[in-house]
Amino acid sequence: MIECPSCGHLHRPGTLFCSECGVYLLTGGPLRTEPLPESDLPTTRADPWESGDKAGTGEAPHETMLIIVPPSGRQLTLPAEGEAVIGRLDATRGVFPNIDLTPEGGLEGGVSRRHARIHRQKSQYFIEDLGSANGTFLNGQRLTPYLPHPLHDNDELQLGRVRIQVSVR
Amino acid sequence: MATINPDIDLYAVLNVPFDATADEIRHAYRQLARQVHPDMQDTQGTAMLFRQVQEAYEILSDSNQRSAYDRQRVEAGLSPKSIFQWKMQPSRAALSVDVDEQIVYLLFDIAAGQSDQARGRQALNICLVLDRSTSMQGSRLEQTKASAQRMIDSLAADDALSIVTFSDKAEIVWPSQLLTDPIKTKAKVSAIQASGGTEILQGLMAGLTEIQKRRSQYAVNHLILLTDGQTYGDEDRCLSAAEEAAKQRIGISAMGIGEDWNDALLDAIASRCGGVSQYIASTGEIQHFLRERLQGLSTVYADNVRLLFKPIDGTRLKSAFKLSPYIERIPLEDETLLLGALQSDAAVSGIIELIVNAHDAGDHRLAQLELIGNIPSRQLDDALLRQDVTFTFDPSANPNTPAPSHILSALAKVTIFQMQEGALNALEKGDVAGATHRLETMATRLLDMGEHQLARAALLEAGRLARSGNLSPAGRKAIKYGTRSLILASPKER
Repeated sequence: MIECPSCGHLHRPGTLFCSECGVYLLTGGPLRTEPLPESDLPTTRADPWESGDKAGTGEAPHETMLIIVPPSGRQLTLPAEGEAVIGRLDATRGVFPNIDLTPEGGLEGGVSRRHARIHRQKSQYFIEDLGSANGTFLNGQRLTPYLPHPLHDNDELQLGRVRIQVSVR
Repeated sequence: MATINPDIDLYAVLNVPFDATADEIRHAYRQLARQVHPDMQDTQGTAMLFRQVQEAYEILSDSNQRSAYDRQRVEAGLSPKSIFQWKMQPSRAALSVDVDEQIVYLLFDIAAGQSDQARGRQALNICLVLDRSTSMQGSRLEQTKASAQRMIDSLAADDALSIVTFSDKAEIVWPSQLLTDPIKTKAKVSAIQASGGTEILQGLMAGLTEIQKRRSQYAVNHLILLTDGQTYGDEDRCLSAAEEAAKQRIGISAMGIGEDWNDALLDAIASRCGGVSQYIASTGEIQHFLRERLQGLSTVYADNVRLLFKPIDGTRLKSAFKLSPYIERIPLEDETLLLGALQSDAAVSGIIELIVNAHDAGDHRLAQLELIGNIPSRQLDDALLRQDVTFTFDPSANPNTPAPSHILSALAKVTIFQMQEGALNALEKGDVAGATHRLETMATRLLDMGEHQLARAALLEAGRLARSGNLSPAGRKAIKYGTRSLILASPKER
């Protein structure tokens, strides 16, 4: 049996929410994203002008985006809608990112609940930081929040301390 | 020969439509094989992708294997040719080994067969049963009459309509017939006057008799009850009448106006007959809901839709909830889950909670589900599809693997609905403190989810309950019908 961290009610393993008090049982309630020390993160900033439509002319309509999370080796394809929020699931707060980095140490790695967003415009993919606590880094350069940046094959993303490999094909 | 698993959409793997020709399949395969060949791109993912493409092509390029695979897809509700489109998704891909009893959730989604989704409307056989007790006097009755008249205007030539009013006894305002003279029917409605008490059973029985006169297997037979009051002493007989109606495939929808009607009774009547129940807070909404109901009925694709649960190795059902059109607990009688009617333009989805016994490592079939329904447009009774519930038990399965986000999002709302049920049940047993506590906890969760209005209503009622030992009739309905509708409004994210 597993015990609800909030009210102590006992549930069978695999239960996701406490029926007594509504708490999400896998994390036991909201956990704050702590700011990481500056020395843990790259300091260079990405050129904010390399954004917008400049690169949106690629000609392969069937390209798919694969996201690889090295700590667990997990591979994800971008959902068909062409948009995915990356972050840390918090069921109690109703935050359900498409790509949840909790299993890859998202909390300790300083990943925000809604950290960044990948979306597609025509055949070009973009990454956008959603005002995260610890920042989103594209090939080692910090992105200006809410400014979409084009993504290319073999780009490396870093959300807080968690690294992600991007592959477009 | 590769084993064929109908759950995997091999056409999607090759990125071709399900009716692609052999040439198209070969062409798609060659193109893909070049792109994902491990010699071209050397990552672990490519090798897996390559194997999938290879296996898909092996089956789809062999006409015998392809037709066997297609047949399995059709029978499982997974092909565009199936009579129902039926998807099921588990909360976890792999279960833990050596756990005595573990929980796993299954999300199901049932829609009309694709080729029939655009079909024309069904012939209707409708009876309106209207409360004309003294409390209806004024705007309630006037709005009800006006809405009934609008409804007469929107019926088609082959629809049958009857109208019954009730107070202490029932009167037939318009006996069941095709609408040849709408002006005459509307005039009869205009003449309805308010007086007397509220005896729902009287109205229900008279209405069912009218529907019987023109009941057809291939029409939508439905009774719509509108009331604003409590009925006394005949609740049990109302429920047996509803059960009898369900057996004859007559649906009942129930609409309660204002705050003084018996929500438990109307909900039970509607859920037994595959209809909907509706809380109408202000008289201005009567017309809207009546029109919406009529719209829903005229797009019915299948009725008496149900899931039969056939357990294997002691798997048990713990709970089941419908998620659309609103959250509703599905009773687990005889392991048959009644889902009511399925419209051609709206899917029915729900979530099932299973208790699974301990199993060794490997794949195990834990249950079989049968989806059954009547499809009037195809003149099919008890049309049936089957799917197996199979899970992999994996010694290295991580019990903390998060479930897919839409399953979690649905479960979060079902949990709130259960807390509301728990509060009302506690109150029924006289446990005021327990009910108050549950309402307060529920309000906290609602605040976390950004549902501020509903949270405030819950806190207000918790306060009232603590002081007076009672809920206000309006607050009780606001909470009950607010929590069940959470699924409709998407939560505001942070």
